[in-house]
Amino acid sequence: MPLACPSMSRPKLSVIVPVLDEEDNVGPVAEQVRAALRGKWDWELIFVDDGSEDTTRTRVRQLSQADARIRLVALARRYGQSTAMQAGFDSARGEIIVSIDGDLQNDPRDIPRLVAKLDEGYDLVSGYRVQRRDHLITRKVPSWVANRLIRAITGVPIRDNGCSLKAYRRELLERMRLYSDLHRFIPAVAAGIAAAHIAEVQVRHHPRTAGTSKYGLTRVGSVLVDLVTVTMIRRFRMRPLRLFSMAALVPGLSALVLGAGGWIAGALAPHLIETGVSFLTVVVLLLALAAYLLMLGLLAEFVVRARRRGGRPTIPMVAEVSA
Amino acid sequence: MRRAPGGGPGTPDTSWGGSAEAEHERPDLSVVVPVTENPQPLDEIYEAFRAAFDAHDEVAEFLFVSAPWARGHLAKIRALARAGHPIRIFEVGARAGESDLLLGASGYCRGELIVTLPPYWRIQPAEIMKLVRRVREGAALASAARGQTGDHPLNRLQHWGFHTLLKRLVGTEFQDIASGVRVMRPEVLREVPLYGDAFRFLPLLAAREDFRVEEVVVQQHPRDRRTKVYSPGTYFRRVIDLFGMAFLTRFTHKPLRFFGLVGGALALAGATLLAVVVAQRLAGTPLANRPALVISVLLLVLGLQSVALGLIGEIIVHFSVGEARTYRLAEEVGGLSRGEPPGSESIPEPPPELAEHRTQ
Repeated sequence: MPLACPSMSRPKLSVIVPVLDEEDNVGPVAEQVRAALRGKWDWELIFVDDGSEDTTRTRVRQLSQADARIRLVALARRYGQSTAMQAGFDSARGEIIVSIDGDLQNDPRDIPRLVAKLDEGYDLVSGYRVQRRDHLITRKVPSWVANRLIRAITGVPIRDNGCSLKAYRRELLERMRLYSDLHRFIPAVAAGIAAAHIAEVQVRHHPRTAGTSKYGLTRVGSVLVDLVTVTMIRRFRMRPLRLFSMAALVPGLSALVLGAGGWIAGALAPHLIETGVSFLTVVVLLLALAAYLLMLGLLAEFVVRARRRGGRPTIPMVAEVSA
Repeated sequence: MRRAPGGGPGTPDTSWGGSAEAEHERPDLSVVVPVTENPQPLDEIYEAFRAAFDAHDEVAEFLFVSAPWARGHLAKIRALARAGHPIRIFEVGARAGESDLLLGASGYCRGELIVTLPPYWRIQPAEIMKLVRRVREGAALASAARGQTGDHPLNRLQHWGFHTLLKRLVGTEFQDIASGVRVMRPEVLREVPLYGDAFRFLPLLAAREDFRVEEVVVQQHPRDRRTKVYSPGTYFRRVIDLFGMAFLTRFTHKPLRFFGLVGGALALAGATLLAVVVAQRLAGTPLANRPALVISVLLLVLGLQSVALGLIGEIIVHFSVGEARTYRLAEEVGGLSRGEPPGSESIPEPPPELAEHRTQ
C-alpha cells in the first residue's frame, strides 16, 4: 500500500533530484533520502528526468507507486541540468527546497544539517565537498580553477559552486529562474539578483558507484563564457549603458591619445614620430569602436526599459539582515 | 464529426452556413491556404482537395487568407463561397509573410486538425489523407515529403544540399521541410513561435518544441515539377534562412556562446597579428604605414563588437525568460503541477488587423 504524505498539499521539504540515465541510482537515492529524513519533517522527493534513454523513468514511476511522497517530473527531451532543476523548483511544494545529485555522490544524510543552517535565517545554504572523490584531472582541477575564478569575479565567497547539494527558501526561488547553464552559478545569481543571504556547510562526498559522469573538460570553455554572462547580468542588468560606456572608454581614450599625441609629436618632431595612412586608419577604427559600443549601450538601456514597462519589474528581493 | 457519404466534388455543401446549429458544428479538418506569391488557380486546388476529403467522408472547411494585393486571385473562390461551399476568406491589413497569414487564420480554425496547403500544386490531392491518418495515429504534425524526381537536376542538387546543411547545422534530418503541405493538431500552431518566414521550418520548430513530427513520403503533383533553375536570390535567401534557424535553435538561451566564440576568434587573430607587427617594429621595421597594422586592429575591433552583441543578446534573454517555462513536460507522476494543467491553454484571439470577409 502506498505511503501517504501526511500533508501532501504543502510539505516542509521538497528534495529535487535531476537525473539523466541513472537507472541504477534512483532506487538507492530514494532509499537514502527516506532514511535520512525519517521522522523529521513532511517531505516529498521529486526526480526530474532530463530525457533519459534508459529505464530511469520507469523505475521512478514504480517508486512513486510504492511511496506517494516520491514524484516524477519527466521532461520531454534533454534540456540540460539548469532547466531540469528549474522544472523541479516549479513542481516543488515545500517551504524549503533541497537539490541533490542523482549519482549518490552527495549524501542525503547532510540534508538535515543544511536545513538547520537555513533555519538560522539564511536564504540559501550551499554544500561544500571537503573530501571530493572525483577524477583529479577531469573534475577536481577544472573545478578548483573555476571556483577561484567565480569567487574572484563575482565576489561571492563560495568555495564549491559545483556542489549540487543546496537548500533554498521557496521565496528565493520564486525570485530567480535558471536557464542556459546557470546552475553552476546559483550562489552568484542568488546574491546578485535576489540579494540572498548565503551560507556554506561542509558535506560528504562519495565516489560514483553506478552510471557514468556527464561532465568532462569540454565544459571549461562554456563555463568561462557563462561566467562573463553572469557577471554582466549581476552587475549591469539594470544599467547596461554603464558597462558599455566603460568598455567604450578604452578604445575612445586610446584613439584620442594616439591621434592627438601623433599629431602634436608629428608637428613638433616629424623625424622622430611615424605617422601615415595606416596610423590614421587605426585611430579612426578605435573611435568607431567606441561610438559603436556607446550605441549598443543605449540599445541595451532601451531593452531594459521596454521590459520594465511591459512586464513585471524585476525588483531585487530585499534581504532582512538583522532581527 | 464525419460527414455522411454523398455530396461529390464541386457540390455545394448545403448544410454549411445553414442553421445556427450547423454553423457551430466542428468540422474534421480546417484547411488553411495562405495566398502568397504566384498562386496557381485556387479554385482548382480547392476542388481537388475537397474531392479527396469527400472521398473519405472528411468534413473540411477551407480558409483562404491573403494580403489585399492578392485579392484578384480569390475571385473564383469568393464565387464558390457565395454558392455555399465551405469556404471562408480572410484578409490581412498589411503585407504579411506566410507565417502571419497562417497564424491569423489559425485563430478562426474550428476543425479537429489543421491542414496547410500552399496556393500552388505540391502533391497529388489524394495523398493528403496519408498525412491525416498519420496525425490520427499519434503524430502531432505530419509533413509531406515529395519525391521530386521530375525536377531539374540543379534544383534537386540544391534540395539535397539544403537538407544536408540543415542536418549538419541543426542536427535534425528532414527530406523535404519546405513542402508546405502539413497536417497538425491545433496546439502545434498555438505553441510553436512562428513569425516572418519561419513557416517554412514549422516541422523543425515543432520538433524543437517536443511535438512528435513525422514526414510522410507522397507523390509530387506533375505541375510542381520545376524544370527551370531557381534564381541566385532564392539560393541566397534559403541559406540565410537556414543559418538563422540554426542560430535560433542552438543559441536561443545562450547568445554569448555564439557571439563570444566568433568574437573571441576574431579578437585572438587580431591580437596575434598585432603582437607580430609590434615585435617587428621593435626589430626595426617601420609601423605606421603597414596594412598589417590596420588589419590587426580591424580584427580586434570586429571581435569586440561581436562580443558586445552577445552581451546585448544575454540581456534580452535574461529579461525575456522572465517567469515563462522554457521546457515541456512529458509526464508528471505523483502530484499536480502548480502550473496550468496540460491542454488548458485557450485559443489565442485572432489579431485585430485580420478581417474575416463573410460572403453571403
